[in-house]
This record gives sequence, C-alpha cells and structure tokens, in this order.
Amino acid sequence: MESKIKNRRDFLKEMGVYASSTAFLASIPWLDAFAQENGKNVAASDRVRIAVIGVGSRGRALLMNLQQVENVEIVAVCDNYEPHYSRAIELTDGKAKAFYDHKKMIDAVKDIDAVVVATPLHEHAHIVVDCLNADIHVFCEKAMARTLVDTKLMADTAIAKGKILQIGQQRLFNPVYLNALERVRAGEIGQITQVRAYWHRNADWRRPVPSPELERKINWRMYNEYSGGLMTELAAHQVQVANWYIDKVPTQVMGSGSICFWKDGREVYDHVALVYDYPDGSKCTYDSMIANKHHGLEEQIMGNLGTIEPEINRIYSENPPQAPGIRQLVHDIESSIFDVIPIGGATWIPETAVQYRGDVIAPYENNDSFLQFVGFAKAVKNNKPYPNLLREGYHATIAVLLGLQAMDTNEIVAWPAEYVMEKDV
Amino acid sequence: MKDITITGSRIKKEIIIAVVSLLAAIILNIFSIAKFKTDWSELFGQLHVVILVAIAIYILVLIFRLIFWGIAGLIQKK
Repeated sequence: MESKIKNRRDFLKEMGVYASSTAFLASIPWLDAFAQENGKNVAASDRVRIAVIGVGSRGRALLMNLQQVENVEIVAVCDNYEPHYSRAIELTDGKAKAFYDHKKMIDAVKDIDAVVVATPLHEHAHIVVDCLNADIHVFCEKAMARTLVDTKLMADTAIAKGKILQIGQQRLFNPVYLNALERVRAGEIGQITQVRAYWHRNADWRRPVPSPELERKINWRMYNEYSGGLMTELAAHQVQVANWYIDKVPTQVMGSGSICFWKDGREVYDHVALVYDYPDGSKCTYDSMIANKHHGLEEQIMGNLGTIEPEINRIYSENPPQAPGIRQLVHDIESSIFDVIPIGGATWIPETAVQYRGDVIAPYENNDSFLQFVGFAKAVKNNKPYPNLLREGYHATIAVLLGLQAMDTNEIVAWPAEYVMEKDV
Repeated sequence: MKDITITGSRIKKEIIIAVVSLLAAIILNIFSIAKFKTDWSELFGQLHVVILVAIAIYILVLIFRLIFWGIAGLIQKK
C-alpha cells in the first residue's frame, strides 16, 4: 500500500480523508504528521529495527503485520512460554535473535530502535518502562496496564524520556473511522448526544491448556490479577472511539458487571453494562457479553442529524431521501389492499428501528493493524512521537479501569483530575 | 396433437393491450411524481419499475379476460 502513495494529498485520500481541511487535520495531529512524513525515501541501511515481546495469538498477528511494513526488520523476539518462543523463531525464519527474558534481550541486542509489546496485560507496565528507560521506542497492545498507577507510570515515563509510546488502538488509523470523523467534525450528523457501543460474542473465551499448572498462564484473561476481562480486552477499543468522536474526557462512569453465564471458575465478568458521562451531557453506553452474538459489535455514534456505524461502514441520515414516486405509489396500493386495519385494537404503533440501509462511509481495502505499524515505523524513523496519539490510548485505558472500579464497588466513579492528559503532550 | 392457431387479429389485440398497459404505467409514474413531489428525472430513471408495473397491469387484465372467457364458455355449453 505504502509504495502507491505519491504525496500528502494522495496519502490522505488513501486514508479515507478527502477534505483534508486544516481544522480537521488539527484535530487528528498524528494523521497530519503521518501525512507530512510520507513519501520520504528511506535507504536500506536506515531500516527500523524492531523486537517483538510476547508472541501469543495477538503477538503473532502483530509480528506478521510488521513483516509486511516496508523498511522494518524484526531483529529479536522474546517470549517466556516455550511453544510461543519456538513459533516466534519459526515465523522469523530463525533470522531474529530469540530470548526468554526482555531484560536480557535489551542488554544483548544493542541497536533495537523499537519494541512491540504484546504480552498478557499485567506484564505491560514493567516491560514498557524498562524499554523506555533503555531509550527504546515502544508500541504496546491495548489496554495499557492492569492498574491506574501503572498506566500513568507508563505515560509519564514516555513523556519524560521523549520516547514514542504508541498504544494498539488501530481504529485511529482506520480509513473508515477517519472519514467518519471528518464528516462528524463537518456537522453531518449534528451534535453527538450518545455513543452506544457493544461487543457481543457467544463463546467461553477459554483456550486449551496442555497441563493444569498452565491454566493461569494460558487463560490469563479469566483472572483479575492479570486482566480486566471484557473491559480491558474489548471495551478499550470502543470506549476510545467514543472519547475520540465526542472529543472529550468522561467526567464519571457507572456500571454493573456479573458472572452471569460462564460459571466455570473464572474471576472476570462475562457480562458488563456501563454508562460514561461527558461534560456536555452526552453519554457513552457500553455493554459486552459472551453468551449471545446476534448483534456482534458496533459503535453507534448518534447525532441529532444522523447516525454512524463504523464497524459496518455505514452512515444514516435522520431524514433519509424519499423513495421514488412510483415505488411510493405501489407501496400505498399494496398497503391499502393487504394491510390489516385493527378495529378496536391498540392505537399505538411500535416505534421500531427505521428500515433504511444508509450509505457507505468510505471504500476500505486496508488493514488497520498494518496501517498503525506503518505509522509507528515512520514515527520511530523520525525519532518523534505523534502529537496526542498517546493521549487517546491513555484515556481509553483509564476509562476501562475506572469502569471496572465502578462495577466492583457498585458506585459512581468520578474521573480523577490527575488522570486527565492535556492535549498537545 | 391439436395445432393451436394464433390469428393476426389476436396478436394485434394483445399488442394493443400491452401498449395500453405500458401507457397506463407511464401515466401512473407521472401521477406519482406529481403526488409525492419527487424528481422529474424519475420519468426515465424508474423505467424498470414502470415496465414491471405495465407487466402487472397486463397480467391483471389477462386474469379478468380468462375469467370472462371461462364464464362465456360455460354459458355457451349450456
């Protein structure tokens, strides 16, 4: 994809952003910076040397995406679980140096430009901080950390060291989301009053365990010590979208969580429902469950003039264009012949959802997990973090951790002032 | 097997009914554009729907004619 992009304008088009107005680009400065730097010729000797720490299921996918990015070289891999360690060597054809311990890797491979951290959540903070302190740029999978303190420590270290800490919120590089955001900022759906987000699956979320003592290591997502369950693994993506589109930090969160269906010894909730309040009165309502997948996932961004459903790439007007006259006439004739007229029945007609397919937001052929690495590699090459990009991932993690706190304590939790990251950091 | 003969006048009559059905559908399209205040470009843009409506009208007329012929045949037999 990258080689086809000739200049800034073409690049923005490729990313689904058409107007490229100064005001819009100012609202997503990492995209502007990404576009400015695009097209630079990179000599073969200027390759970005990256190490991957954590090569489980997500780490493997990230590694394979990284291998597709131009001028990126995977110089080392690290995993303390033998099958993943061996797989990482296999995936890199034995060319990358392999380690069980990230500290030994940092000491042994001196010219690492950046690392990608895709370990279980509770391991993120100390690995990321070690790497940043060793002057290595970091890409870290979302959510950032298991605790608020660790999340802040990671962000503060990155800022203090002037290093890149990019969080795996790949929707920030997704052409559909970028185009939709451009249309939101242009006023196409009016004032956003609610983002209704959900992620539903119907599976126990367990992985096969070769021996019982590995249960907590393999199924770390099931245990509070290592994971925030649905909140840190799924909600982090969607609450980030809500914060981004509403363009504000929530003021408070309330919620309820339960182990409702999968009563198999897990500690994390299998069903969560939350409400995030924003300063302007808008809300993000969020729910996630793993006992029904009929509705799948979506972030429904609702304004007084329209609705956006980015996951399925559709935008809907509150006043859809009327059907052609002849079709309306045929419909009226059909209704007058076949519709049943209730006599003495209910006078209320159910206000069911509008049956209107809307329009496509933007053509989309790219893989946002790949695009986020194109962006990361460019930032590393330029040795400069993108403005405000860390802020998005940081606030998403703080939001899901506060949501967990609200559910655990059954209280409304206000967003602490010390966990607000100002813009232009 | 008995040969069926379709006369020239029958073909002429069917063509006239088909053309009248098409004209009726076009008139309905004009009426609906005016009634629902939609764009006049639908005169051409909705031709596919107009043709479908014309076929529906032709079939409706054919059903009425078949019923009429059936009843007329029964009366003649008596």
